[in-house]
Amino acid sequence: MLEHFKDFFKKKPKIAIVSLTSCEGCQFALLDLGECFLDFVSQIEMVDFRLLEDEEDKGEKIDIGIVEGNPMTDENIETLKKLRERSKILAVLGNCAAMGGIPEIKNYQEGMNTIKHVYKYVQGIKNTEIKEVDNFVKVDFTFPGCPINAEEFLKYMPELLEGKIPVIPDQPVCVECKARGNRCLLLDKKPCFGPMILGGCDAVCPTSRMMCQGCRGLRPKGNVKAMRAALKNMMTDEELENVSEIYGLRDDISEWESKLYPN
Amino acid sequence: MNIRINHIAKMEGHAGFMASVLQGDVKSAKLEIQEGIRLIEGVLIGRYYTDMPVVAQRICGICPVVHNLTAVKAVENAFGVKITPETEKLRTLMEFGQIIHSHALHLFFLSLADFLDMDNDIQLVKEYPEETRKAIKIREFGMDIVRIIGGRVVHPLTNEVGGFKKVPKPEELKNLVEKSDEVLKIALELGEFFRKIKIPEFSRETEYVCLAKSGTYAVYDCDIVSSKSTILPVEKFETNFQEIQKQNQVIKTLEHNGQSYMVGAIARVNINRGKLNMEAHKYLESLNYKFPDYNPFHNILFQMVEVIHCIEESVKITKELLHSDLNQALSKKYEIKEGIGVAAVEAPRGTLYYHVEVDGKGYIKNVNIITPTAQFLANLEDDIKAYIPSIMNLDDKIKEKKLRAFIRAYDPCISCAVH
Repeated sequence: MLEHFKDFFKKKPKIAIVSLTSCEGCQFALLDLGECFLDFVSQIEMVDFRLLEDEEDKGEKIDIGIVEGNPMTDENIETLKKLRERSKILAVLGNCAAMGGIPEIKNYQEGMNTIKHVYKYVQGIKNTEIKEVDNFVKVDFTFPGCPINAEEFLKYMPELLEGKIPVIPDQPVCVECKARGNRCLLLDKKPCFGPMILGGCDAVCPTSRMMCQGCRGLRPKGNVKAMRAALKNMMTDEELENVSEIYGLRDDISEWESKLYPN
Repeated sequence: MNIRINHIAKMEGHAGFMASVLQGDVKSAKLEIQEGIRLIEGVLIGRYYTDMPVVAQRICGICPVVHNLTAVKAVENAFGVKITPETEKLRTLMEFGQIIHSHALHLFFLSLADFLDMDNDIQLVKEYPEETRKAIKIREFGMDIVRIIGGRVVHPLTNEVGGFKKVPKPEELKNLVEKSDEVLKIALELGEFFRKIKIPEFSRETEYVCLAKSGTYAVYDCDIVSSKSTILPVEKFETNFQEIQKQNQVIKTLEHNGQSYMVGAIARVNINRGKLNMEAHKYLESLNYKFPDYNPFHNILFQMVEVIHCIEESVKITKELLHSDLNQALSKKYEIKEGIGVAAVEAPRGTLYYHVEVDGKGYIKNVNIITPTAQFLANLEDDIKAYIPSIMNLDDKIKEKKLRAFIRAYDPCISCAVH
């Protein structure tokens, strides 16, 4: 697959991979590719990837900016805006950047008051509402998942490097789940969001007998109504809502349903 | 004068550094945290207990395994759930995998360039291809362990309250044992390479704290031990160690009897070195260090010692597991009960503590998570204060480089510390 990169460009394309507030797990998923990732790095010019280099990024123009995490601090927001300005294409890496991730749970619960469970002195600590990256800048492509599927990163990078925006096929997690020979959790009367969620993760969760909780987001043709009906005897509406909060899916479900039932 | 570093790369999370020195006297030395507050403990409150490991492990992308294990164990302790020996072994093995791949990443990719006078790993990888290949091989062995047991390396999936949703196939475990001889050989070779690296001299006495258990190099189910005081059960941690939040600070730091203390590989090797496996013990001897050892740069070499130990220990446990019924590790039924649970597991960077309170229906009422970096941050700052006078006369650029190397030797994880 990496052969693709080799002779493509006379000049090495410039890439920066930047993290905002996050666990950095998506960057580790890349690093965990080992020699495969180092091969990739040797075929591009990595302008910024702070897990590997300590030199200050000079802020030059780049071909692809890649960003992970939540824009939370003032520095985060500034980093993100600068990255957008200098990048021909901006791609987001993972669920936090794309859908709000774990930190977004607070938006659904006690909001700004959540801080009181954690800190005694809250004055002077920046406590913001969690907003996805596309609320701040235009996003051209999303590598979904918590964490991303690193193989998928390698699969779509050649297209991005050609200046094209890839389209992830609109198929549910179930397609890969079946291909892996898993017994369907729903058939065992165990909840799973697989049918309405965008595949491409190789069904890594259901393969471990863990329900799909929707970290890759609704697929374009995902049918929330049908999903609710299928889950009816397995979980209450409240439980469904709770699970959909984990990866910031709940607001997407509400949006889908508000289109179906206006007002 | 002030010494300022805007941003320290090659470590987990975002931080800078600031020190002020007045006529040779170091007035303050502080890490400046640039991480947002995700309020992980706060968002867990009111949620169902099964969300605890799923949400909490996302504190950290490099050590999610240990967050997962400690979260699950804390809930089990709250409910009074007893697990089978097979479950405990699989969990312990997964933690060894975690320590192997995290240490291999830190000692090679994050720290090594500092001692070879290079600015980035792209240069390092080019000039040391053979060593790079070895470091990657070792990492892959650790990651294989986590993948086989946990279903995935970053944010594992199978471990839950009561046991595992799915257990590895015996062939997968056999495969680990088959690879292990070569991996151990490679680790010893990489250890030789590290032994020859010139490590700066620095020493400041401190207190070491880690888990301890008789007869074994403790990781999973143990008591707390300190180099200065007696053994404590894990439940007594919060009453003996003080968590402090200063105004405007997003990291709560820790003190023991009003003093900073140290955790992690350097603490564990100082305290538990008598329980290392044979090859790890031989390697430690070859370093010729005198104990107690108070040079924080040695943390990197002690991580190498632990990599060797963990490979040896992984083989032992895997062989034991191959002689047992793995299905015994599948989740067992248990009762949801109101209760308080406290748990501690050795993370790569030091002891990780979880405290959870659950109501009678299984909803979380209260959570406290105390990470290794939060514990050693005050010690790091005290060390740097003592270190700065020895580098004061150097050129500013070199001074800054030395400070970066010092901070990275600690292997701080700012994402964990803030969470």
